[in-house]
Amino acid sequence: MIINHQILVLGGGPAGLNAAKYAANAGADVGLIDSGVRLGGQYWRHTGDISVDHAMHHNFDQGSLLIDAVLTNPQIKVYLECQIWSVSIVNDSIVLRSLFQIFQTQKLIIATGAYDRSIPFPGWDIPGVITAGAAQALLKGSGVIAGKNIVVAGTGPFLLPVAAGISRHGGNIVGVLEAAYKTSWVKGITTLIRSPFKIVEGFGYIKTLRKNKVELRFGHAVTAAHAGADGLLESVTVANIDRNFNVKSTYSLKCDVAAISWGFTPDTSIAGALDVRQRVNHDGSVIIEVDDDQRAIQSNALIEIYAAGESTGIGGSELALAEGAIAGLAAAHDPGISNQLRKLRRRAQKFAHTLSKVYPVASGWQSWLTSETLICRCEEVTYQTVREAAEELGAIDARGAKLMTRCGMGMCQGRICGRSISDLFDGNQVDRIQFASRPIITPITLGELAQEGLL
Amino acid sequence: MITFTFNGVELFAISGQSVSAALLTNNERITRYTRINNSPRGLFCGIGVCFDCLLIIDGKPNQRGCITMVQSGMTVEIQK
Repeated sequence: MIINHQILVLGGGPAGLNAAKYAANAGADVGLIDSGVRLGGQYWRHTGDISVDHAMHHNFDQGSLLIDAVLTNPQIKVYLECQIWSVSIVNDSIVLRSLFQIFQTQKLIIATGAYDRSIPFPGWDIPGVITAGAAQALLKGSGVIAGKNIVVAGTGPFLLPVAAGISRHGGNIVGVLEAAYKTSWVKGITTLIRSPFKIVEGFGYIKTLRKNKVELRFGHAVTAAHAGADGLLESVTVANIDRNFNVKSTYSLKCDVAAISWGFTPDTSIAGALDVRQRVNHDGSVIIEVDDDQRAIQSNALIEIYAAGESTGIGGSELALAEGAIAGLAAAHDPGISNQLRKLRRRAQKFAHTLSKVYPVASGWQSWLTSETLICRCEEVTYQTVREAAEELGAIDARGAKLMTRCGMGMCQGRICGRSISDLFDGNQVDRIQFASRPIITPITLGELAQEGLL
Repeated sequence: MITFTFNGVELFAISGQSVSAALLTNNERITRYTRINNSPRGLFCGIGVCFDCLLIIDGKPNQRGCITMVQSGMTVEIQK
């Protein structure tokens, strides 16, 4: 059976929720698809137990109100646990397939969000090394603290709520290591002052960490992880790094979990499959290009594709909400997109741009790699193999390395390593976009394909 | 509280938790051994992107523990 909706929204985080709400309020019939068991996305991930959720989130009220508004809107049909594995354009319609349903629409709003950006380093495949997002998902989605002694490291404002959350719920944080220098905050101070809520939020986390005597170090990074005899994480090497991420000195820190993130990578999988125009953002990530109405650029005049939230550039929940509202109204052809909404978006964009300048990821991380360091976790391709592809086999870009070494060809389809491989080859715009494109949105088995009658 | 088995051993979990969360609560960190180097792997991205926390769940291989909710009576096995 084919499910038809006037507008389909893909992703139930802040951007997708607001897009669905605004489109429905403008009179459209909306389908909202999410792969998770509950709406909210990564930002408003919750357990479904109200008392727990309010304790886990500093601002869950806003999220639960929006989720309720969407769930109770008769114009919106919500499809949860619905993992889309294929999208295509068939007879001037957009067709999306999950394992159990086929959806068809003329108007699609992409709100697929982002995931943690990881950087390869020796030992990053050891069980116990996780992303900061994983630690957050465990806490907010399952009420579980990731380990007994946890290091939180990497760069970006996201490290603070992760560390503060764990600490506030009784977890032991042995250190928060922020790669950026404290003084670099000065660069963004003018924008930060214009967003007082963010300042209050940031100070709240720092206060929690101080109260619980958690050490917050700037200009430090985890540059290697080490396993014990049981194969599990036992300690990490912490380095004092310069502004280019080159190591100045190191020391060892015992821990069973290292939660590490280097900002976020937008999830644009669906854009590649639909041949929607993408570009490289100022922070080096591949994003979906949109116009002033959040409309994406593609060649079929009979369909409309919009994008909102992190897939159009990392910017946080306030920007995602503004973009979602605009995309929803534009898709519903509502002429009432207010200047106030556009102003809100512009302000949030400025804030995001400044933050990315405060938390750069410098190329010096490549000096942390050893010959044996895995670059591609899925296909277990080492740094040495990638280097040999470049030096001996003549690979000049990420695509070449992929064909020669299988890096980026595993189950995750390059979602984790793709950005780093592009960086290793100092890839140009075309190479980065091609490497981020994948025909299948999520891997399925041949048996599942056969069940669908496609084999 | 519900129970599930991991490699044949009965473990406790809270309904609504992911399989990954339930395993971590029980101090189980290894979900699989890799195809080429036979190296242990566990939870990494935690949100269904990286395919590292793959497990055999109710007989089905390559299931992501981080986005699968634990169920009463579920059988979970390490994937080799």
